[in-house]
Amino acid sequence: MKNLSRYNLIVISIISLSVILPWIYWLSFEKPIPKPFVMYSCVDDCFMIRGSENGKSYRMNEHGEMFTREEFEQKLPLLNIRQLMISRTLPDSIKGVEMDPHVVNKARSFYRYKPSTKNAPKPGLYPMFESESGRAKLEMPEDFFRINSRMEFIDADRNKINEAKTALFTGALQHFGFKFPAKMIEGIPTTRKSCDEGYFVVDNADQVFHVKMEQGQPYVQQVEIPKGLIFKHIGCVDFRNKLFYCYLIGHDHNIYIITQDDYYLKRLPVDEFNPENQQLRIYSDLFNYNVIALAEDFMKVTVLDDNMEKVDVFYKSWKKRSERPEGKVFSYLFPLQLNLVDENNAFINFYFHLTKGFNWIILHIVLLGSHFLIIRKRKAKLKNHIVDFGIVLVSGLFGFLAVNIFPNKLND
Amino acid sequence: MLKSMIYKEWLKIRWFLIGAAILGLFIIAYMFMNVQRSITFQGANAVWYNILFLNKMIFGIMKYVPLLIGIGIGVAQYFPETVNKRIKLTFHLPLFENRALMMMLSVGMICLLLTYLLHFMVFWMLSNYYFAHEITVASLITITPWFLSGLAAYFLVGLIVLEPVWKYRILYAFAAAMFVPLYLKSGMIGAYGPINIPLALLTVLISVSLLFSAYRFRKGEM
Amino acid sequence: MNNVIECNNLTHYYGQKLVYENLNIHVKEGSILGLLGKNGAGKTTTINILNGFLQPRSGECLIYGENTQKLPPETKGRIGFLIEGHIQYAFMDIHQIEKFYSGFYPNWNNEPYWELMSKLKVTPSQKISTMSCGQRSQVALGLILAQDPDLLILDDFSMGLDPGYRRLFIDYLRAYAKSENKTIFTTSHIISDMERLIDDVLIMDYNRVLAQCPVHEFMQNFKQFNFTLLNGGVDLSKEKFVSNLEKVNNEVELYTYESEEFVKKFLDDNGVEMKDFKKIDMNLEDAFIGLTGKY
Repeated sequence: MKNLSRYNLIVISIISLSVILPWIYWLSFEKPIPKPFVMYSCVDDCFMIRGSENGKSYRMNEHGEMFTREEFEQKLPLLNIRQLMISRTLPDSIKGVEMDPHVVNKARSFYRYKPSTKNAPKPGLYPMFESESGRAKLEMPEDFFRINSRMEFIDADRNKINEAKTALFTGALQHFGFKFPAKMIEGIPTTRKSCDEGYFVVDNADQVFHVKMEQGQPYVQQVEIPKGLIFKHIGCVDFRNKLFYCYLIGHDHNIYIITQDDYYLKRLPVDEFNPENQQLRIYSDLFNYNVIALAEDFMKVTVLDDNMEKVDVFYKSWKKRSERPEGKVFSYLFPLQLNLVDENNAFINFYFHLTKGFNWIILHIVLLGSHFLIIRKRKAKLKNHIVDFGIVLVSGLFGFLAVNIFPNKLND
Repeated sequence: MLKSMIYKEWLKIRWFLIGAAILGLFIIAYMFMNVQRSITFQGANAVWYNILFLNKMIFGIMKYVPLLIGIGIGVAQYFPETVNKRIKLTFHLPLFENRALMMMLSVGMICLLLTYLLHFMVFWMLSNYYFAHEITVASLITITPWFLSGLAAYFLVGLIVLEPVWKYRILYAFAAAMFVPLYLKSGMIGAYGPINIPLALLTVLISVSLLFSAYRFRKGEM
Repeated sequence: MNNVIECNNLTHYYGQKLVYENLNIHVKEGSILGLLGKNGAGKTTTINILNGFLQPRSGECLIYGENTQKLPPETKGRIGFLIEGHIQYAFMDIHQIEKFYSGFYPNWNNEPYWELMSKLKVTPSQKISTMSCGQRSQVALGLILAQDPDLLILDDFSMGLDPGYRRLFIDYLRAYAKSENKTIFTTSHIISDMERLIDDVLIMDYNRVLAQCPVHEFMQNFKQFNFTLLNGGVDLSKEKFVSNLEKVNNEVELYTYESEEFVKKFLDDNGVEMKDFKKIDMNLEDAFIGLTGKY
């Protein structure tokens, strides 16, 4: 029993140390990875890049031409329209389109997706706004809905189900062939938006429905999607130009949109976006969509025109943290790192990151030798400490500290 | 013998345990009085909305309460055993030493679990009264590791207090200070879902910790 | 008669410091053994080994034939243990502590306990921690008597007791042990107490045993002679027969197991000139100091 209790203590110490020591290491030695800002210029029809290298910032285009700050801003007039207006350098028109700030702003949008948006605890309850209240402002409803075996509305004040409303909406969904329960419910659950478009709901058969409430009545519309297509994430948007309801990310690693009113599912001509470990940023303006996929070690910017046809692609990669000098040193110190949080996941869990290669073996052998000397100094029998030697060899610094915090003097 | 052992442990921890149970109930009552007040002033839908979408933890004040109760009961139970090395008396009882220790540990652990269970159930009932089960379940998932942290701290206090050598007491305290925060990482409401079971298993692992330092005591480490 | 306690070739170190080497102790059933030694000579170490609170570097201790490192519950039940300083669960009162211990011992007999308690002027709900040393000693003793063990191990039972209490404790204990055929292993730093109590004596010095025999035998054989040297330069302390020698100016106190005749003859034979030779009567304390030295 005493040996069992000791090994248990060693296990929890190794776990704690493999969280804390690497954390302290990165806290002390991690350097920022300069990820450049890249956007397509509607003036020059090429990519503009702003970044920094060795502590010096630069502005250039994809051909390596360097620019001053003012020149750079003039290459991206739609992004910097306010600045150009102040400095009176905004051209009257670009590509034959008059530079009216209202028009420019209406076409501008920004969408951002992180894997931790998808991999997160979901509320399960959502407010169903009145889409056609006739009021200028949206109001927070008194009830919240869930979709399990039916679409239930729960009155918050009484914490009771509103059976009439539940029956009304459940009936409407059933009418459209909705298969309960819902797998995904995505909308914009806030009153701070220009108007309400309800929710996009994926049912148990992976069908996609648009559900909202108009004057107290359910509005349901099924979206036609190709057979076999399953969505991993739906990101609803509230853009001024009202061209589409949402961005969707499929299992097939494609990005789609659903157009407003006619529910047409359109695939964006962007290759391979992995929603599990890449971030997505989509900037749109009057002429282009800049679809930026950002991974740990590369970025890929796909530029689409206003019809969402592919124009150009920019790709830039850099060294991962583990391949940089501080990562190399790390690989000589620790065989693994344990995290409770993960950049790509909002859940708290044990995330193991094994160190690539076997550089750490050198330190492990040194520590093994040190432990050998400690045991020898105690004049203990080596054969009673074989398990400890194994622990030190496998877990290195973590195990070495652990077996000496809880020394095996009992079995000397 | 078990009855006598329960009696002794109960004498040591009873006042602290009863105080802690009442304190916990007061804190839970206070939290839900706040909920009631917010509902009265802002409306229930706003309170629900804040929890569901703005990640507002109405029960955040509870975070360190189980931890403090666990440490307190551990100290109340094991500290009197180390004054003048009274643990020798326990080892001299006509029982196998580990059995005597396990009895002590079980009594303390069961008292602690019952206190936690009381708090957990009261929280559950009140939450169920005010909120839909989605909110209640996410809340319970969030507070579970806090209760586990108290249990883990209780086990580690036993280890630390019974250790005969000061140097190692301090080292154990370091190890405990590294381990217990794993239970208390902040996250979204409900984010602890995947890790609760691994954390519970680790808690089970350290439940017998005190056997280690007690054995060192018995073998005359100093 | 059987040996209740048998320690064979005990050797122990604290770190690099030797406590003792190859110590052998035997305690017969029904006898009372006193372990005497100066502070730090290893008394508490021995008690700790006997109770299984310390693992000796080598050698073993047996009580009723069981290794003290792994005493089974039945054997532990036959041993009454008084911890140095009469340590008990001080957070209990006298009723609570009686209730607690009674659950462990099948032969629990609370009569002697309550008899002793009735003589204490304590309130029923008074915690042991608020009692005086003397009162605590009575509680600890009462509990041991109620346990009715076959072997009593008493570690420095006289600590903190008034002379009256000590006398009471000793007389009560000896009468009890002799009438019930109990075995006692005890230590005390107040040697004069022991004389009234013990049958056998074991005297320890730093890392060795100086004497181990029945106490009357020791008192008979161990002698003190005082004399005044006429020639100050003589050094007798290295002589084999001399157990200890204290010399202040030319006044000599010589301790030996040899007879008066032997000593006189030795002095004569070796041409040591002296005067005022006399044999001194000693009590146990004198003998202990004589054997172990004043320092």
